[in-house]
Amino acid sequence: MNLKYLYRGNNLLISLCGEIDEFSSRTLRGELDRLIDDTKPLKSVTIDLKAVSFVDSTGLGLIIGRYKKLRAQGAELTLSNVPANIDKVFKTSGVYNIAPKID
Amino acid sequence: MDNYLKMQIPSLGKNESFARSVVAAFALDCEPTVEEINDLKTAISEAVTNAVVHAYGDNTEGVIDISATIVGRSITVTVADYGCGIENVDVAREPFYTTKQDEERSGMGFTIMETFMDEMQVVSKVGGGTTVTMKKVFK
Repeated sequence: MNLKYLYRGNNLLISLCGEIDEFSSRTLRGELDRLIDDTKPLKSVTIDLKAVSFVDSTGLGLIIGRYKKLRAQGAELTLSNVPANIDKVFKTSGVYNIAPKID
Repeated sequence: MDNYLKMQIPSLGKNESFARSVVAAFALDCEPTVEEINDLKTAISEAVTNAVVHAYGDNTEGVIDISATIVGRSITVTVADYGCGIENVDVAREPFYTTKQDEERSGMGFTIMETFMDEMQVVSKVGGGTTVTMKKVFK
């Protein structure tokens, strides 16, 4: 799992690359949290999934966890460039109700 | 021609990706669509993750048996562990149910398996383990 980010206008754009499952989430969770904690001020975070080939329910847990963390500090979470196979997982779980898709 | 696969892996996190890739590669014989193969991969990942995280917890030496059988244009996959087992399978299958809320688990594993496959059966015994059997018919 690779991670790139761009901070501009109080928005943090995080582009992920690889597969998000239980195993990769073990390290990715900490990396995302460090990035969120180190970036101030922060109004919104966008996670770009264009280069992500796989997400399962552990990935959902990771998104929900980051949403809760950001909401606690008054920031929003959005998702962009969601591939079709991942879109199906997100729609099944209703994740867009908390982290809307922007394209 | 009908075909079958049997494999055994220890309950290591890195085997989640390995297992779903192997079963997906095996299913290619049925010439599934991209969507169908992704459905299969996701469901396998959920079942193996359950075995690694829930059945065995911190034990990375637990045994996971995976078998898959292709008959015509359908695949039946069984993921069996010999870990802690599930006390109430009906409750565990409910959306958003999780025993590990503090660990950010979504509780959507069984729901995804049910949604992405055509049939799913869960047999579990506390202290004896869990066997998930899933079938997908390729169009």
